[in-house]
Amino acid sequence: MKPRLNFMETAGAVMVLGLAVVAIFAPLLAPHDPARAVAASFGDPWPPSRAFPLGADQLGRDVLSRIIYGARISLIVGVAAMAITLAIGVAIGLAAGFLGGAVDSLLMRFTDVMLTMPALLLAMALVTVLQPGLLTVLLVIGLVSWTQVARVVRAEALSISRRDFVLAARALGATRTRLIVRHVAPNVMPIIVVMAALGVSGTLLLDAGLSFLTLGVPPPTPSWGRMIEESTAYFRTAPWLAIFPGLAILYAVMGFNLLGHGYLRRRRRDASTR
Amino acid sequence: MNSHVESTARPMRARAAVAALALAIFFPACRAGSPAPVFPPGAQVLHLASLDDIPTLDPAAGYDVDSWMFEQMIFDTLIRYSDSGVDLVPDIAASWTASPDSTVFTFHLRRGVRFSNGRAVASADFKYAIERVLDPKTRSKGMEYYRGIVGAADFVAGRAKSVAGIETPDPWTIVFRLSAPDPIFPHKLAMPFAAAVPREVVARYGEDFSRHVVGSGPFMLRQWIGGQRIVLVRNPDYFVKGVPRLDGVVEAIGVNEDLQWFRFETGAIDLSAIPPAVFPYVIKTPRLKALTMRIVTMTTRYLGMNCQMPPFTDVRVRRAMNYAIDKRKLVAVINGRGIPANGVLPPSLPGYDPDLRGYPYDPARARALLEQAGYPHGFTATVWLPADQTMMVLAQSVQQDLALVGVQLKLKPVGFAPLLDAIRQPNTVPLFFSGWEADFPDPANFLDVLLSRAQWGANNDSWFYDPRFDALLAQAKPLADPVRRFALYRQAQRIAVADAPWVFLYFPVTWQIRQPWVHGLALNPMRPTRLDRVWLSPHPKPQ
Amino acid sequence: MLAYVVRRIFFGLIVLAGASLITFTIAYVMPADPAVAVAGAKADPQTLAVIRRQLGLDQPLYIQYAHYVDRALHGDLGRSYIRREAVTGLILSRFPATALLAATAIALSLLLGVAAGALAAAYRDRALDNWLLVAALMLVSMPVFWLGTLLLIGGGLYLRWFPLGGFDGPLSLVLPTLTLALGSAAYYSRILHASLAEALDQDYVRTAIGKGLSRRAAILRHAMPNAILPLVTIAGLDFAGLLSGVVLTETVFNWPGLGRLAFEAVFNLDLPLIMGTVLFSAALVVAANLLVDLLYAWLDPRIELGASRD
Repeated sequence: MKPRLNFMETAGAVMVLGLAVVAIFAPLLAPHDPARAVAASFGDPWPPSRAFPLGADQLGRDVLSRIIYGARISLIVGVAAMAITLAIGVAIGLAAGFLGGAVDSLLMRFTDVMLTMPALLLAMALVTVLQPGLLTVLLVIGLVSWTQVARVVRAEALSISRRDFVLAARALGATRTRLIVRHVAPNVMPIIVVMAALGVSGTLLLDAGLSFLTLGVPPPTPSWGRMIEESTAYFRTAPWLAIFPGLAILYAVMGFNLLGHGYLRRRRRDASTR
Repeated sequence: MNSHVESTARPMRARAAVAALALAIFFPACRAGSPAPVFPPGAQVLHLASLDDIPTLDPAAGYDVDSWMFEQMIFDTLIRYSDSGVDLVPDIAASWTASPDSTVFTFHLRRGVRFSNGRAVASADFKYAIERVLDPKTRSKGMEYYRGIVGAADFVAGRAKSVAGIETPDPWTIVFRLSAPDPIFPHKLAMPFAAAVPREVVARYGEDFSRHVVGSGPFMLRQWIGGQRIVLVRNPDYFVKGVPRLDGVVEAIGVNEDLQWFRFETGAIDLSAIPPAVFPYVIKTPRLKALTMRIVTMTTRYLGMNCQMPPFTDVRVRRAMNYAIDKRKLVAVINGRGIPANGVLPPSLPGYDPDLRGYPYDPARARALLEQAGYPHGFTATVWLPADQTMMVLAQSVQQDLALVGVQLKLKPVGFAPLLDAIRQPNTVPLFFSGWEADFPDPANFLDVLLSRAQWGANNDSWFYDPRFDALLAQAKPLADPVRRFALYRQAQRIAVADAPWVFLYFPVTWQIRQPWVHGLALNPMRPTRLDRVWLSPHPKPQ
Repeated sequence: MLAYVVRRIFFGLIVLAGASLITFTIAYVMPADPAVAVAGAKADPQTLAVIRRQLGLDQPLYIQYAHYVDRALHGDLGRSYIRREAVTGLILSRFPATALLAATAIALSLLLGVAAGALAAAYRDRALDNWLLVAALMLVSMPVFWLGTLLLIGGGLYLRWFPLGGFDGPLSLVLPTLTLALGSAAYYSRILHASLAEALDQDYVRTAIGKGLSRRAAILRHAMPNAILPLVTIAGLDFAGLLSGVVLTETVFNWPGLGRLAFEAVFNLDLPLIMGTVLFSAALVVAANLLVDLLYAWLDPRIELGASRD
């Protein structure tokens, strides 16, 4: 990898760093407790004012503080669920691509089955089965989004395992596990890095969708998706309740997207100038 | 998906592909939606809108407000409630008598009542309707209400071809014999489950009867397109002369409260719910406030505590919970559309106890009680609730209040069915949000059904048991005299409130708004609004 | 050719069987008794027992599954527990609304996507290209339900041009269509941009440009025909996905489509309806895959049928 980042990568990195800073220092940055009633706006949300810069919701809570604290759960869900997605996807992709034969066709048929199932419905059903909570959300997102990763990793693994150095290692008597760990895995790393960055943005959107359907991480944990969901009853008189958390989601997802696409763009440039 | 963004090209015959795709795209667009029936100019048509589709129009199947609203327009029962109250009045039965011990009930039917297919309604149609509800194959939710009839058990078990305790000596008389005294049995005949249905039509359509309903009520089904609209038209042969006054009722389906309000403002619908966002504005605007109607429903919302699961085994903890929750704030969160609850029985219910004080908001007292019970620093508990928007918001308000006395509430939002199932398992659900809507205007429908030992594993979801309470219920149950009956129930309720198996939250108040040209409308505290006497004065036609 | 189609249909059926098995398993390990869902909040235990027996829920799971598959093969997807209507009928009654929305959304996203992609390629590496990229990234970074809510606030509430949701005339189609189309248009524009860029780098196109062919003509005449194929593939598959309903957009706009139906089914634990909607969606996706492959083969004879697509 070249050390010099392009503009998109820089912007993405700055945005993601900013998100991380807000998440880590939320207690210092937030003016109020995000779960407590601090305004008497019960049943009739308040517009932005000096005391409550982004308004107060129908339960008397400060919207700004909730958005600041919401960065925490978003970052945790985004990164952890992406890690689970990658773990499942890479394991299945490597196994299929490298072991081949019956294992490959079995795993790929299974992937086909998963791909034909509507992801959000599957996620909803799984949340119902597993009971709502942070761990459930992570697991469910992982379980419904690994297919793409598995397919890409399998394709890469297939092409790499036919290359000379792998064939040579095999001829020298290397075991399959050793081959995967020492040779194939490092070579699929770049593509995995890209999928990780883009995976986080996908994950964030899926989490927001689940929260919007009241199936995300339960309160009092402030979550941006749920904030939008709770605001829908008031969207005609208090649109700010929906607009600000949406901007927060947009910001976070955009940060990771810039990182991923920036990297892809640089790699393509590098390839075409080679 | 995003990882696809960088992709490779392959050569092709592009134009043909675009054409093929365009064809594939626009083909399904050619048919969508069917036209609404057209009413002649000047027809009196009431326009409504609702979010959810009507679950069913089959009286044996429906058990919810939306289904009942339409079922009571299409079908008739022997007796019914008055438009705005819960007193029983004649419907198809012109008169009825009860034996002194409340075990035999005799109904005398009007002559000349006809189903909309032209056939005369006879006593056998009511017998058939109830047998259909009892038949296991129908899977009716109303089965339990008619099990007390003599011979019902044999019929359900398949040992008898008909229910021996329902006699039809002639087409205009029907007699019910019960195996035990039940003074509120006539109320069970006022439920849509017991409405007359024509056997020949049910036989023809089977489970699809819901889509092809034929009844004797003031309206008939004209069109019902799932998820879009339902249209009823006037039954010209309805047995009450001059009723209904409307020529038709059109309900648009899939319209949420916000959209309803928008359509109400443009005059496109005649009745509307008032969405939370505009409620404060409506109340502040005299012109609009004058068009609102409100009624305290026979419903109690509560936070149930499982009396068999620690720490809620301790009555001090249960009372502390009652003192810790700010019911006025809770009601404010729902725009004041509720009355803070003082006990189990709602104020519109006969037998209500106005002198009962209940639990005021008193966090200091809650903390003291928790300390006495051995929880000086509070505790953590999980509350189960249905995952819908209003419930989640209410739960968060309660969560805020309890945090102030040291009780950390974890929310467990689940689907409706898993919630119902879990609540019925012992030692599973420590805390839950729930509510009860009256089926009959009688305290037994709350106290017996929700808090007696016999209902453990069924509707006694707080697993409450107090022998003194149960003894009072047993004494009250067979009494037909309201004064003695209600006095006993009043005593029983006092025990329940002192034992505090629930946090008594609030009694919901229903608000509706009508256009100035809508007349003759009355809200009912227990049943959906009836439309048979509604009429419209001349008004501008919406665009 | 025929052998290939038969083989693909066979594999498609296997995939469907897998999907049905997974759904069935999930549905039945749900921590709830479907009979409770059917009987409602107030039912007494006796009523529950009767309903459980009537629905065959007291039989072992594998027998229930076998019954289900047997009936499904005869075209009977059962009756909804809650609505008591035939599942096939319910699905078909919601399908027109969904199909209409899916069709307009795909058409608009292709239109916008192709236009933006071509524009970006024409101005490759210049300011416009970069701005289009940023705009596209922003659109794919928005939660669809938020975009929908914004459009409602803007187009419905402030401008009052469009209804605030519901399925009622052509105007009601505009906002949900935009909601669905903007995101995928952004995505399509990037795909097209990438393939156009690659096509423009081909030697013969470079030569043509070197000989004085305008960049616009090069894109329209030479690069576009080749570049649009992958887009058709993806759009075809997306279309199948849209046809099976879009829960979030339908929720925001109260659209009476399959997505809401499926959502209600999961929420109410209406097992036959859950199974029915999932199988219907899966069948659409399988069919779309097959169609796209056949279309590919027909359009480009060089593609060998039967070769693995991945």
